[in-house]
Amino acid sequence: MNAPFAGKHGETAFARLCDELRPDLFRFAYWLARDREVAEDVVQETLLRAWRSRESLAESKAAKPWLLTIARREHARLYERKRFETVPVDDLVGSESPELAAVEEQETLDMRRAIAALDADYREPLVLQVLMGFSTAEIASQLGLTQAAVLTRLFRARQKLRRQLAPGLDPDPE
Amino acid sequence: MECLEFRRIVGADPQHPGAEALEHAAGCSRCTRFLRQTLVLDERIRAALAVPVPPSARIRHQSSTATLVPGMDRRRWYALAASIVAGVLVGTLLWVSGPRDSLAQDLVAHLAHEPQALVVTEEPANARTLGRVLDRGDIRLRPEVGTVSYANSCLFRRHVVPHLVVQTDDGPVTVMVLRHEQPAGRVAFSEEGYSGTIVPAGPGSIAVIGPANVDLEQVTTRVLSAVEWRQD
Repeated sequence: MNAPFAGKHGETAFARLCDELRPDLFRFAYWLARDREVAEDVVQETLLRAWRSRESLAESKAAKPWLLTIARREHARLYERKRFETVPVDDLVGSESPELAAVEEQETLDMRRAIAALDADYREPLVLQVLMGFSTAEIASQLGLTQAAVLTRLFRARQKLRRQLAPGLDPDPE
Repeated sequence: MECLEFRRIVGADPQHPGAEALEHAAGCSRCTRFLRQTLVLDERIRAALAVPVPPSARIRHQSSTATLVPGMDRRRWYALAASIVAGVLVGTLLWVSGPRDSLAQDLVAHLAHEPQALVVTEEPANARTLGRVLDRGDIRLRPEVGTVSYANSCLFRRHVVPHLVVQTDDGPVTVMVLRHEQPAGRVAFSEEGYSGTIVPAGPGSIAVIGPANVDLEQVTTRVLSAVEWRQD
């Protein structure tokens, strides 16, 4: 089997690859957890697991979906079983550091709150499509859904955001 | 195709509506407007999803990792600790063997986080947004700079700095106004397919960065004469 991440050179190549993909991985984890600290923990655990299994990765281009899959499992394993106190969505988004929040446009913060308020079923396909650049077929494969179900979720996610944040736009089909 | 179906397709995947949908839009002004509005909405979604990423050097202390997984047995904990050490070693190796961080590298790395800014367009940035960005950066910008298609206040090297994209005949060029960076002199660099210039200006400097094939001289001169620095 071709193992591009075996041996010393493979270690270095894999570390570099992880470094490149870390921003995407963090953002994906953030939108799973909607919490920066939790996202950092998920990323940490994901990279540790990936490091141990790196030789099983057959090609670089498969790394991103592979890491996202590990991140989703880590999030579920480490955090979904824990019973967090219910925190209002506004507080979650507002818990960004004031220094970072200050540089964000109000429009972006409003959108961030609206996305955070979406059900995970709608939010995750949207993150995979808009932020990760996955096709609807790839999202279906990643989430174990039919492509039709993914399309429906993506449509509804945008419909909710549009109604909440851009009510002046043309009406959607029902 | 009917308008209803068109809007369902566009609402699910506005970047890839397909030939049939585009053919419909060509003959339907309302659906064309709907497509345009949805693409704008998607840009807002993309900007909101791109939450700031913490620095990569952050490796949690082992004790906090231990509390992360309370049920972990000793052998597994040792394996995890060994992995952390291995990860730190590889990171250190990369840091030692690779080029040291420089202002130029940091600028190019920053650009990589906002690739959506670098699109060819005649559409100027929202005037209100641009005004806020300039205010936060304590600068003014004369109109002769040309079309500013993107403006954002970015956290760069622990300071909030104006990040602008100026459209030129050769394509979009990034301008970062760096009040807190004072290079000894003009610096030209070429990194990862970008070429750039960092020029001392006002109390700090201005960086102008474009694709490797762009002649930055003219736009740099234009930008330098267009930026007015306000007092601290």
